[in-house]
Amino acid sequence: MKRVEVKLSLPVVAPLLDIIRELSVDLERTLAAPQALHDLDQDFRGAWIGELLEGQNSDLRSLLSLFDGDFFTEGVIAFDGNNAEPIVRACTAFRLHLRERRLKALGDEVLETGEIDMMGLEEPVRKAFMCYLFLATVQELIIQHLDSTIIGS
Amino acid sequence: MPESRSHTRTDTRAATEVQLEDGWRVVVLNDPVNLMSYVVMVFKKVLGFDETKARKHMLEVHEQGRSVVWIGLRETAEAHVFTLQQWHLTAVLEPDEAR
Repeated sequence: MKRVEVKLSLPVVAPLLDIIRELSVDLERTLAAPQALHDLDQDFRGAWIGELLEGQNSDLRSLLSLFDGDFFTEGVIAFDGNNAEPIVRACTAFRLHLRERRLKALGDEVLETGEIDMMGLEEPVRKAFMCYLFLATVQELIIQHLDSTIIGS
Repeated sequence: MPESRSHTRTDTRAATEVQLEDGWRVVVLNDPVNLMSYVVMVFKKVLGFDETKARKHMLEVHEQGRSVVWIGLRETAEAHVFTLQQWHLTAVLEPDEAR
């Protein structure tokens, strides 16, 4: 099985994990991307959202498990066919929630282009934006190296 | 995914309504967060598109704000919408009024 290991800088990534953990508490009960389900009756909508939430929480646990005790000794995270799919989805969930809760002030154009003077941002927004970019990098790495594994699974 | 209730509903409908039920669109809407490469991968994974078709629909979403990615029976359309939403794309179900 193809496996990708990434060595991360602990001083850079550790503060971002605080944000990810805070968001994960919110996301236990909230869908990262609110969906328009007008065409479904109420009971069915409840079951639909419940299953989406269950899957979302399972994905988030996969991503959080990358940053367990070993990560803080080695600074290494690893992706393979077993965890690539839930992790790439979890990154999206966190990025959507970051936009909603921490990055609204930046505007969508900045989020799409990534073009902004980071040093001009206030500390909490800069940290949230760095987290947003970090999660995008994780996604890009997975898609670049494990795309065929995910599509074929 | 949640069990579809379209069977029982469809059974009780008049023939004309059943015919209408046959055409449902799965529409994906643009968002500023998802990476283009991610959307292409999801289209390939969920809808079985090849690279060219996946990129075409991704660009349609990006440039026009929406793309109809699938048309067919309601039950299958619901399944596609649910799976696309599991991947955090904004996907909606619409009746296919062109049919």
